[in-house]
This record gives sequence, structure tokens and C-alpha cells, in this order.
Amino acid sequence: MQCANMLLRKIVRNSALPFAAQHGMKKDLFPLSRTLSLSLYLKQDKSCEPAEKLDLDEWKKVMKSGLQEEVSETVSEPKELSSLAAARETLEMWRLAGKAVPEHISEEQLKTFMECPSKSAKKKYIKYLHLKELHKKNDKRKMAEKRERRLEARDETSNTEETKKSPFICLWSSTMDKAYNWRAAQSMIFGQPLVFDMSYEKEMSLREVTNTVKQIVMSESCNRRSVDPFHIHFCNFKDDSLYHREFVKQYKEAWSKLLITVTDQCYTEIFPKDKLIYLTADSPKVMKTFDHDKIYIVGSVVDRSIKRGISLARAKRLGLETAALPLEKYLLWNTGAKNLTLDQMMHILLTLKDTADWKKALEFVPKRKYCGFVNKPVNELKKTLDMIHTLKLGKGQEEVEKRFAKNHPKKYRLKQK
Amino acid sequence: VQPPEKPLQAEEWNKLRDDFQLPEVFEEVMLNSMIRCNSPIDVAKSLLTHLAKRDGDIAYSVLIKYLTLCVHQGQVSEILDVYDIMKVRFKILESGAYSLLIKGLSNSDQWRMALNILEEVKKIMIPSRTCYESCIKAASRHQEMKLAFELYNEMLAKDVVPTLDVLQSFFNFSRGMEGAELQKELFGILFYLRENQIYPHKTFMRSIKLWFESIPGGNWRGHLTNIKDSGQCPVCKHQLEDSNLTEEEYSNLSERIIRDVIHGTDTFRKTSPKEFEAFQTFVENRLPFDIVIDGLNISHIKSRKMQCENLFDAVSCLAKENARLLVLGRKHMLVNSSNWKREIMKEMQNKADFFFAENISEDDAFLLYATLRSGKHCRFVTRDFLRDHKACLSDSLTRHLFCKWQRGHQIAFSTSAKGETFPLFFPQQPAFRYDCVVQTTGDTWHIPYKDVFEEKYSYQVPRKWLCIQQK
Repeated sequence: MQCANMLLRKIVRNSALPFAAQHGMKKDLFPLSRTLSLSLYLKQDKSCEPAEKLDLDEWKKVMKSGLQEEVSETVSEPKELSSLAAARETLEMWRLAGKAVPEHISEEQLKTFMECPSKSAKKKYIKYLHLKELHKKNDKRKMAEKRERRLEARDETSNTEETKKSPFICLWSSTMDKAYNWRAAQSMIFGQPLVFDMSYEKEMSLREVTNTVKQIVMSESCNRRSVDPFHIHFCNFKDDSLYHREFVKQYKEAWSKLLITVTDQCYTEIFPKDKLIYLTADSPKVMKTFDHDKIYIVGSVVDRSIKRGISLARAKRLGLETAALPLEKYLLWNTGAKNLTLDQMMHILLTLKDTADWKKALEFVPKRKYCGFVNKPVNELKKTLDMIHTLKLGKGQEEVEKRFAKNHPKKYRLKQK
Repeated sequence: VQPPEKPLQAEEWNKLRDDFQLPEVFEEVMLNSMIRCNSPIDVAKSLLTHLAKRDGDIAYSVLIKYLTLCVHQGQVSEILDVYDIMKVRFKILESGAYSLLIKGLSNSDQWRMALNILEEVKKIMIPSRTCYESCIKAASRHQEMKLAFELYNEMLAKDVVPTLDVLQSFFNFSRGMEGAELQKELFGILFYLRENQIYPHKTFMRSIKLWFESIPGGNWRGHLTNIKDSGQCPVCKHQLEDSNLTEEEYSNLSERIIRDVIHGTDTFRKTSPKEFEAFQTFVENRLPFDIVIDGLNISHIKSRKMQCENLFDAVSCLAKENARLLVLGRKHMLVNSSNWKREIMKEMQNKADFFFAENISEDDAFLLYATLRSGKHCRFVTRDFLRDHKACLSDSLTRHLFCKWQRGHQIAFSTSAKGETFPLFFPQQPAFRYDCVVQTTGDTWHIPYKDVFEEKYSYQVPRKWLCIQQK
């Protein structure tokens, strides 16, 4: 087969010859001397050709002359590429074709790329890496600019040379840290427990686990900074789990010094069952007030693939009480899922604990997800909202009604004509 | 940007570029608009020459754009030249360039070159279905049916889904050709349609018909027809395949429903083991039912009526024929409320068996289980399309089985203008007694097809058939 291909290729090449000749590149198409440099070419062209006449195929000559030198260089390379090198090569071609491909790819990332099950998965992964690289680059640039500005500022202040004496003590961040840690330590003795249920590792992809851990890290930090922190518990936490690995990656040495309780026990083993409330958006029960005697459980899960009811299933299995935030009651919901990120949950719970003010607490729900706070009866607001939608999007009245009927089976139905 | 009509000199290009808002992307934008306007390639060439002179090199993305232009205009020698340049310049190309090359060459008398390129692609990746399509079409256009089928089987083996166009081209180009081998391969395509429940469109159907009628000495005749509800073909009086599942398919399906839909990854997500067990014993003690009703779904049919009245109407309508009914509901229906009157509920419970699930359980899963457990004759009533349950099934084969079973067993109520409810079979067409797939008995073929202009939803099956019989 290979042999036949070669033969075929030769024939084809030859048959293209007369064609090429027609295009007016008679004598100087084929025997290109290897030593001829590009600049020489250009000089010749300019000198001997009249300005009007244009050699349309000249670009081919240039391309070929350039590459003949390269060919001689690349001859020594091994012909068969390893699969990794081939993948790298493919990516390089993607990049040349103008696709979003990162400049640097580590061996590990390349392996992940090759393990992607489908073409679209590969594209998605590469785009993700590309964006990540862009963000990193931007951050670096901004840092450099900042540093420069700071240096300039320092130069200026050193010029003024006078050091002011302040009547206040300067509180450095380490001092603040000590204060925060003191509070966190107190919360570990007297604080209200808040449980993160770490038993969803199997339901998540690696990226989802990474996102979860990032969200928990943010939650922990805002808890530490609050006036009256929770006593955070990580329950069902297995050593050497993906969670563990990601936490160590995020916290580094600080992981062992965190003022939280980490255990592989289940919350049902630590706390009395009747005190536990599992917070889940799927719960049929809606939370009315924040109870300072209860222990709230938050599922540490990021769910990108829409696995409905996994946390509700866990609560059902253990026979625990469940609750959902009263989002519908206080907010005029617009778009997006009702499940919130873990750090948003933490903000909301902390605010509730301190103020018991739902309006203040639900400020932490992303603004894009709701249109406003409810101050009129819900059905009236809904009507206005639907009207706005009808006007804005030009949607048929029928469709609005249909959607409405779906959301509100019986209570608030629009009048039918 | 409007591309120039004639090739330009370097200075003229420079001027154009300087006038352009974003000089960095000038070449790309210009070439894109050339592709859009289908400019003469000489213009593009003059731009490339200008670029080559300026930079001493031409970027890959620019070459690709030029290649696109050449492929659009069928400039074979140019395509070959670009390929030569690319091949020496780059170790491998990416999929876009390969499909362009294959597309361009397969339409010319250099089509064997396209096959060579396909071989090259295979070394690096799985070729796309359009690459295969171009090559297969080229081969069959040149009457190399054996080669075409080799490629076709190869793409099937690689899980690349062929386009309907490719399948149609096989029938188009084999017209009037002899050979048992060829015939077998084409029958194979028809079986492929059958297995994947693909319905050919009108022109494709015509190609099939013409091919059958052109088989030398085959004496095949094709007629377009509509199949009666009884499942008998009006042309050849042949009875179409039964829509009922086989015993094996049936037990397979019920097993999968229990495993994937009811239990899934966690039984607690839709029900609880305790509740499911209770339901199982409930069903086993009262088997078999004739009709299983999704009580909550039916109770919402008419919004002006009380929900329990709606349900009551449906139950009394279905109970007339002495059918054994099972109504599935949730516990909240038992609590006396404005929508659920206790007396009416009591009365209904005399006419049918009721099972009330927990308020947070999903009753649809129970509906499927009870119907399947009752046997093949049992049907179920709901307006729900059950798509979410279909999606829980793990493989496409079982999903097809589910669709087939659903077509034959789902009853949907619809409200007529007068306000009376009649039971109608799902979805606005009677439950099929016959199976709507490509089928054969050896001397007859029945092929359902769809009009191209007719909108077809995935739950609708075509009503038009091609009947082919051997005289």
C-alpha cells in the first residue's frame, strides 16, 4: 500500500506539471539553488521585473526556498513520533490554525488532554487551559505594574524623608491573624458547629472537587474573619482522598494549623440526630428562622452535571431533617439554579447568625439570579415580571402563560381570556 | 472589507492595510471576505505574494484560508501545490486542513490522492465523518463500490456515524449494477437504518426505490403507501411486524427500568428502599392491572375543575370496561383540601386500587414499574413524555426499546372543544399495533420515510411507507 501511494503521488505530481507551466513560472520553478537567500530573490525581482507585471505564484517560490533549508535540518529527526510528542504537535497545529491553545503545556496536562474521551472534550480542556494561562499572564502583568508603582511611590516618600509619627499603633496583618485565630480558637470551644459533609467525592469530576475545595477555603476564611465564627467540622473526611489532596495544595503548611475539626466520622456519630438540619435546595421544607441550637450541614459538592437530589437522598437515608433557604419567599427569582456556592452559603449563614435579618443575609445571593426583593405579594410581582418579559423579548402571551402555569400550578394563575 | 477585483501590487496592498483599522488582522479579514465573496484566486495569490515578500513566510492560518478559497473554486492544481508546501513545512497538519484537502481533491480527477490523505489522517487521529463522506462519495462516483464499502465499514468500526447523504449515495451509484456481494452490502445499509431507527427522507427513499427497481433480473417493484392502523400493507396485503416487545426485550426493559430509573446511583434519590419494597408487595398482591394511571398528572388536565374531579372523570371513564385500574398518587391527596375532597377520593377508591407515595418521592418511576410488571397488555395513562426517565437509561438500545414500548402502551388524555375528555392514544396518533422500522420478509421490504418538509419530533413516527415487493 505504501509503495503504491508513493507511485501515485509521483504520477500526480507529474500531471500537475503542465498546469504549473501555464502559470508562467517556466524556468525558475524547480531548480532552486539551496544557497539562494531570500533577500537576493527580492533584489532580483525588483531589478528585472517591470512594476506592472505581477508574478502570482511567487509566494510558492519563497515558501519552498525557505523550507528547503529547514528540510536539511530536520532530516536527522526520528520519523516516528511518540504519542506525547504527536499530541504536542497536534496542539501546535491547532495553535497555528488560530484556535485557542495555551503557549505552555506541561506533560501532565498533555496526558489529561490525550485521555479526554472525545474531540469536544479535548477542545474544551484546551480552551480551559488557554483561559487559565491568559488570566495568569494578566495577573502577572498587573503585579509587575503594581510593584513599579510602589517603587515609584517609595522613591517619592524617601525624597520627603520626614517620617510621620502616628498616634495609632499600626496593625500588621500578622497581628490581625493572631486576633482572628484567637476568635476561631474560642469558637472551637464555645461556637455553634457548622458541618461540611465531605462524602460526595465519587459524584464529582476532578475539576468539580477542585472547585469545591476552593469554595470551602473561601468559606473558611470568611468565617475566620467574622465577629462570631462557627466551629467548622469537616465530616466524612477520608485521608488521602481527592479532597485531602486538594486542601493540602490550597493551604500548604497551614493545613495542619487550621482551627477547625476534621474527622472521618459521620455527623450523626458526633451530634444528636434531632439537632441536625441538612441544608439542601431540593428540600421541600423552607427555613423560616436561623436556629442557634441546631447544627446545620452543608454538602461539599459542586454539581455541574445536574445531579438532582443527591444531598436530599443522603439526608433521607440518614433520616435527618432538611431545609432550603427561603429564596422564593424573599427574592423575585430571575434565572439560574437555586443552589448557591459554599462561600455564599457561609456568608448567608454568618449574617443570619449575627443579625437574623433575611434581607441582609440574602444580599449574598448573586445579583444576576434575582430581580429584586419582595415587598409586594409575590403574584403581583410575578405578573409585572412576566409583562416585562413579554415586552422585552416579544414572547407570545401564550408562552408566558404556559411558563407561568408550570411554575405556579394553582395559586397564581393569570386570567385566561 | 470589500476585496479588490484584480491582483494588486505590494504598494497597493500596503496602502489598503494602512487604511484598515486593525492592521494586525488585515490579512485574515481580507482573506475571509475573499472567501465570502468568492473572489478570483489570483487576487488571493497577489496578497500571498505580497506577504511572502514582506515576511519571507506565510502563516499557517493564512495558507488554510487560501486553501479554503481554492477548494471552493475547485482549483485542483493549486490545492496540490498548497499541500506540497504544507507537507514539507509542517510535520503534521490539523483536522481542518485535512478535511479541506480531502474535500477539494475528492471532487476532482485526483480523487485517489484524497484517499492517500485519508490514510495519512488515520495515522494521527480518527478522521471526521465528512472526510469519510468525501472519500466514499468519490469512490462510488467512480464505480469503485468495493472500495467505498471498505471505507464505510471502516468508519462504522470506528464509531463514526455516517451521514444520510453517504448512505444515499450508495444507492444512487449502485443503480443498475450487478453482483450479489453489492446487494448484500446495500441490504446491510437498510439493516443499519432498522437497527438505529433511522427514517430516510423522501429523496433518499426515492433512491432506494430506484435502486431496487434497477436490480437486473430482480423484478422488484416499489409503491408508496400509507399503512392502516391494523398494520396491514394495502399494496401487498402483508402484515407488518408486531409492535410488542419480545419476551427477552420485555424482561430486559423492566430490569433496566428498575436498575437505572428507580434505583439509579442511589435509591434514596427518587424513593426509599422501604417505600419501594412496600410498593412492590402492594403491586404483587394485586397483579395484573390493565391500566395504570398517573393520578397527579391526570388531575391537572382541566384547570377550571377541581383536581379530584378531573381524576374522578378519568377513572370512571376508564373503569367502564371492567378494566383493573391502579392509580398512583402522593400522600397529600388524602388530606382533605380545596382540591382533594375526601368523599370523592373515597368513592374513587372503590373503583380502582390506589397507591400513595411519599410527597417527596417520584411517582413516575412507580408508574413504569407497575405497568411493566403487569405484563404486555397493560397500558398507562399520563401526559408526561417521560423524557427524564428515558434519559436515565444507560444505553441507546434500551432507550429505543423504551420508545417502542411507550408508543404502544401510553394513553394520553386530551380535552376536546366541547369540554369532554376522551382517552386518546399517545401522541395524537393511535397506539401502534405494528412496529415502525425498516423491515423485510425476504421478498418484500417495508420502509417508513418522512417528508423533508414535514416537521418531525422524536416521539412522532412517519406514517408514510415505501412498499417494495418482488414479483
